Amino acid sequence: MRAIVIEDDIDIQRQIVERLKSEGFAVDSAANGDEGLYLVQEYPADVAIIDLGLPKMSGLEVIRRIREQGNRLPILILTARGRWQDKVEGLDAGADDYLVKPFHHEEMMARIRVLIRRASGWSDSRIVCTPVVLDTASQRTYVDQRELDLTAYEYKVLEYLMLHAGEVISKTRLTEHLYDDESDNDSNVIEVFIRRLRQKLDPEESLKPIETLRGRGYRFNLARADNR
Amino acid sequence: MVVLSAFMVLTAVALERAVVKRALQAEEDGLQLLVYSLLAAVDADDRGHSITVTAERLFEPGLVTRNSGLYALIYDAGKREIWRSRSATVEFGALDEIGIGEWLFETLEYQSTPYFRLGFGIQWPDINAELQRYDVVVWRNASDYVEQLSRFRQTLWAWLIVTTLLLLLVIYLVTRWSLLPLRRIGLEVKAIEDQRQTGFERSYPDEIAPLTENLNILLKREQFQRERYRNAMDDLAHSLKTPLAVLTGLGDRQDLDRAQLDTLREQTERMNQIVSYQLQKAASVSNIRIARPVDLVALIDRLRSALEKVYREKNIRVERDLPERMLLRMDEGDCLEVIGNLLDNAFKYGRRRITITGSVDADKPAGLAIEDDGDGLDESEIEQILNRGTRLDEATEGQGIGLAVVADIVESYNIRLHFSRAELGGLRVELEFRSI
Repeated sequence: MRAIVIEDDIDIQRQIVERLKSEGFAVDSAANGDEGLYLVQEYPADVAIIDLGLPKMSGLEVIRRIREQGNRLPILILTARGRWQDKVEGLDAGADDYLVKPFHHEEMMARIRVLIRRASGWSDSRIVCTPVVLDTASQRTYVDQRELDLTAYEYKVLEYLMLHAGEVISKTRLTEHLYDDESDNDSNVIEVFIRRLRQKLDPEESLKPIETLRGRGYRFNLARADNR
Repeated sequence: MVVLSAFMVLTAVALERAVVKRALQAEEDGLQLLVYSLLAAVDADDRGHSITVTAERLFEPGLVTRNSGLYALIYDAGKREIWRSRSATVEFGALDEIGIGEWLFETLEYQSTPYFRLGFGIQWPDINAELQRYDVVVWRNASDYVEQLSRFRQTLWAWLIVTTLLLLLVIYLVTRWSLLPLRRIGLEVKAIEDQRQTGFERSYPDEIAPLTENLNILLKREQFQRERYRNAMDDLAHSLKTPLAVLTGLGDRQDLDRAQLDTLREQTERMNQIVSYQLQKAASVSNIRIARPVDLVALIDRLRSALEKVYREKNIRVERDLPERMLLRMDEGDCLEVIGNLLDNAFKYGRRRITITGSVDADKPAGLAIEDDGDGLDESEIEQILNRGTRLDEATEGQGIGLAVVADIVESYNIRLHFSRAELGGLRVELEFRSI
């Protein structure tokens, strides 16, 4: 998952970025509205965390511009003031949820996960494509109630594919959403992760959960158990 | 108006009296002249004991023309008539006692006819040079005078009424015209109250202009102070909460000593509670009554759509039974704070359903009730939650001050806040907007 953090206080920004990275997110960050808007426009992301009180361009204005461009990116706003007027203005402008400073990082992560799931049409923290179950809260994966031992990157790839189950995901898109810096990674690495995932998910090769579409990418083929 | 009417009546009465007095004086003077002309024509009678008047020496034709309305009579000391003018064909009564040299003038009605009567007591020497006592009495018919006086009175009062009405109209118009600037000030004050304008914009006469100019300065200063105060609060919030956020973030780190982190977390949370509560309380502007009316229904719908977005997973069904509009004279920020916190709690603790009911009746205060189907609260919990900064649910971070802030704001607006068990099973919160 890729997150964009727009926060002018460097200490808070650093803490959020560290926490997101520790949770396996690829993170881009900006310290003002202008730069933040540029990041959102240039880099595909799964969620944006935007502080309302930003220099150069306010957080509200950044959100308005993102929405004006038709971008449906899930947005979590951070506000120091905590007044309902600010929260409602932020939500009216196009944000999806709010957090009042100071906040605990567990709460922030929980809200971010909800927003990402919601954007992909999942309402529960457990993503179920029978028989594969991905628990986004505990970051554990099960097949037929048997827990799989996945590396952090394998989990990230599977999470992304399952969140977008049924969609064709190109290698480029996977790379963009999973890595901080695309230049460090080539598509062969993705192929390696996909091959390992197939072995772990379907050692018998009876489920065939991940389909390769030549020249187009991958598709998670098991049916969603949740409603969009 | 009453004073003016009384003044006009008194003036008319005084005027009438002056005119009547002057007319009567003129009549008296005329009759006195007549008496003197009678005395000039007096002679002794044939026997030399009594006096008579030689008609030929009288210059007043009224005295020799029968029933002319002007009559003269002379009585002796025994009140016996000893002479009368030719004009006098009817009987007249003698005078009551009158002193020598005294004049007695009166108006009276005799045989249904109004008269002026002037009597004069004299002594006149007879042939023996002895002074004899006589009364000379002159009567003049006063019918013309009475008629003229009546006409005068009618004219006087008619003009008086017309003049008074005209004067009242003029005074009303002048007053209205002169009070027009004050009425305009009243309209502008209303516009300022409704926040349709920020100060007095019209030009006023020199007498009132200093007042509106000073009020404008006062309003600007007040707005400036209010703005500055809010900005200061925002700055303070930002500058306090940012380091608190850093500390809170530090408390979430897994790689530090657990016990110390717990202490750090606890103390940071306490600081946050205090700062949040005091800042929100300070930012409430309920003491400033110059506020544009807020439509509570529109505000509820706005909050509802925002909260439905935040709590989308819960799929809560909101049933609203609200009038078309509910206007409250309340600061919008305060109103949002109260309804936002209450609705947020309903969304947070409700399971499937929330009902919002509003009422606006002419004979009782507007009311609003929010119910949810959560677990609700018992009385001790309600008591506890209304205390400053107390959080009931430690797991629900940062939300503990919400209801305490609500309680503070509603108290300052004299709004009644009541908690009870909802029909849906959860909490029912009622607000009664008593004076806004």
